[in-house]
Amino acid sequence: MAEVILKDVKKIYNAEKHGHEVIAVHDFNLHIKDKEFVVFVGPSGCGKSTTLRMIAGLEEISEGTISIDGTVVNDLQPKDRDIAMVFQNYALYPHLSVFENMAFPLRLKNAPQDEVYKKVTEAAEILGITEYLTRKPRALSGGQRQRVAIGRAMVRDSKVFLMDEPLSNLDAKLRNQMRAEIIMLRQKIDSTFVYVTHDQTEAMTLGDRIVIMKDGYIMQVGTPDEVFDMPDNLFVAEFIGAPKMNTIKTSLVKEDDKYYVTPFGTKLVVDGLKGDALKEKNVEAQDIILGVRPEHVSVTNEADENAIKCKIKVNEMMGSEVHLHVETEDGTSLIVRVPTAELSHEERTKLLAGNDIYITFKAHVMHMFDVESEKNLLV
Amino acid sequence: MEKKHMGLKAKNRLSNGLVYFILIVISCIWLIPFVCLVLESLRCECTYQVGYLIPKQWGLDNYINLFTKTDFPVWFKNTFIVGLATAAIQTIMVLSMSYVLSRLRFRGRRFLMNAMLVLGMFPGFLSLILIYKVFSWLGMTGANSIPGLILVYTASSAMGYYVSKGYFDTIPRSLDEAARVDGANRFQVFYKVIMPLAKPIVIYTILTAFMAPWGDFMTAKYLAHNTSMGMNVAVGLQNLIAKPESMAANYTMFCAGGVIVAIPITILFMCLQKYYVEGVTGGAVKG
Repeated sequence: MAEVILKDVKKIYNAEKHGHEVIAVHDFNLHIKDKEFVVFVGPSGCGKSTTLRMIAGLEEISEGTISIDGTVVNDLQPKDRDIAMVFQNYALYPHLSVFENMAFPLRLKNAPQDEVYKKVTEAAEILGITEYLTRKPRALSGGQRQRVAIGRAMVRDSKVFLMDEPLSNLDAKLRNQMRAEIIMLRQKIDSTFVYVTHDQTEAMTLGDRIVIMKDGYIMQVGTPDEVFDMPDNLFVAEFIGAPKMNTIKTSLVKEDDKYYVTPFGTKLVVDGLKGDALKEKNVEAQDIILGVRPEHVSVTNEADENAIKCKIKVNEMMGSEVHLHVETEDGTSLIVRVPTAELSHEERTKLLAGNDIYITFKAHVMHMFDVESEKNLLV
Repeated sequence: MEKKHMGLKAKNRLSNGLVYFILIVISCIWLIPFVCLVLESLRCECTYQVGYLIPKQWGLDNYINLFTKTDFPVWFKNTFIVGLATAAIQTIMVLSMSYVLSRLRFRGRRFLMNAMLVLGMFPGFLSLILIYKVFSWLGMTGANSIPGLILVYTASSAMGYYVSKGYFDTIPRSLDEAARVDGANRFQVFYKVIMPLAKPIVIYTILTAFMAPWGDFMTAKYLAHNTSMGMNVAVGLQNLIAKPESMAANYTMFCAGGVIVAIPITILFMCLQKYYVEGVTGGAVKG
């Protein structure tokens, strides 16, 4: 059982030059279960890497405790924490061959030669780098180098596997491939994973649970479904999902026990689960920020009473879908995502930049946030 | 069409030729004193300075005399011991200091670096008289000057950290971190990761640490005074020709000593120079 428990963890940098303290991580509380894959995600500077490095022992923990497998590790050196780590820039030892790079942790433990050989060749087999074992890192491509780095972490059989943006240095195609490989790897290794990324796609596809961070605070912890369908706050809502969620300042109206939202002069009834939830919580009528994901905006025609007239500014053809950047009559910018599969040629030509279109929102999947606190009204 | 301008190739060849010509002339000028020294050392017809260069009678008499009739073997041994000891101690001190200043952050680090910079600006021989006083109390002068010399040469060696710290700074810190996570302690990081990667700078440090005492005259002269047993080669050889009459008797032998002194340094350089140019950090991290 290798649980990782972070309790009230705080990271304070004493910026001597500036003469004041910088708090990089505030009261971080998280219980990572055994064999769970947890992803820390957030924009740069949100403290995700710092938190990971505190788990690794590469940064001092200013306050609070971190325990791995029941042992408080605050005062333990990285080497004594039984962790393996993969770095963004690979951090391979350039003077050693691929084999020796992967064998390095075992050599430090004075493992017997045949065990070293067995473990390294096994890991190399899994990662498909057997033929490069005699090469030096400089003779490898980026993807191969990152495989070696992962291999070096694999041979350790450590309790916790830490990964600090391992795919960020790879090109897009390789990144997709390696992402799939990490998912497969995870099934083989069956250890506790903590993975840091700024890429929400990686977070959504890899994580059992995602920790979304901003400015050193945890914004939400949840499964990919939870953070996508029920974001705690506006930040999470906008951060998760691509293209980013549309946000519109509007009001929530309550009439005859029914809730309505009124974006751009329309009046949409909030029904389904969201409507029930509003009723259950007995939410007051108020000004809100309405969040609508681009895929929850549909193109309609003028006849629709809730149609909103917009002008297409930019048409981004993605292949299986089109992203339309549109502007409403009052100057608000919105993004609309239209799947191309069911569009006729004629319909497609209507979606060119400069044309006017009518759109409407799917009310049952809208998100409503408090204007002041930016918290989800339903949470 | 007539070609008006020189081709790029011809131009390159011309400028290369010019550069080579200048370099060859400069090397000839540099070589002249050494050639003279070698020729003088092989001259057997007389032991004093003469007005010509090419010996009339060639032979190794001067070398043989140097080893049989003077204390040269003792001086050479002394210098070698001092050189080796200094090289060893100084290399360890400099590299450890550089590693600490490059990798660890501690209170007073910046002050320490500045203080060493300022202290390093004072010429070392300002303290010579004081050093002599202290060492004569300690009995480390005259015939016992060798340990004293080692002490003087190595005492401030950690102050020469600049070059190697600069080099260590270019080795990515994530390599240290990877090694520490992989199970290495700080010392293992230092000798298993940093040292192999810093090979050129290690070699450089060893070379400079060896060469300084090898050619030093002033400190050695102060400490050895007139005791032949405590001299290094520079002082010993100078002692050979210190007086006008000994100048006439020992001049060619002095030249032979000069040639022999140059040999170890030359061999050392030839063996180690390939590490100077070799870079070893390729492929460590994403460039």
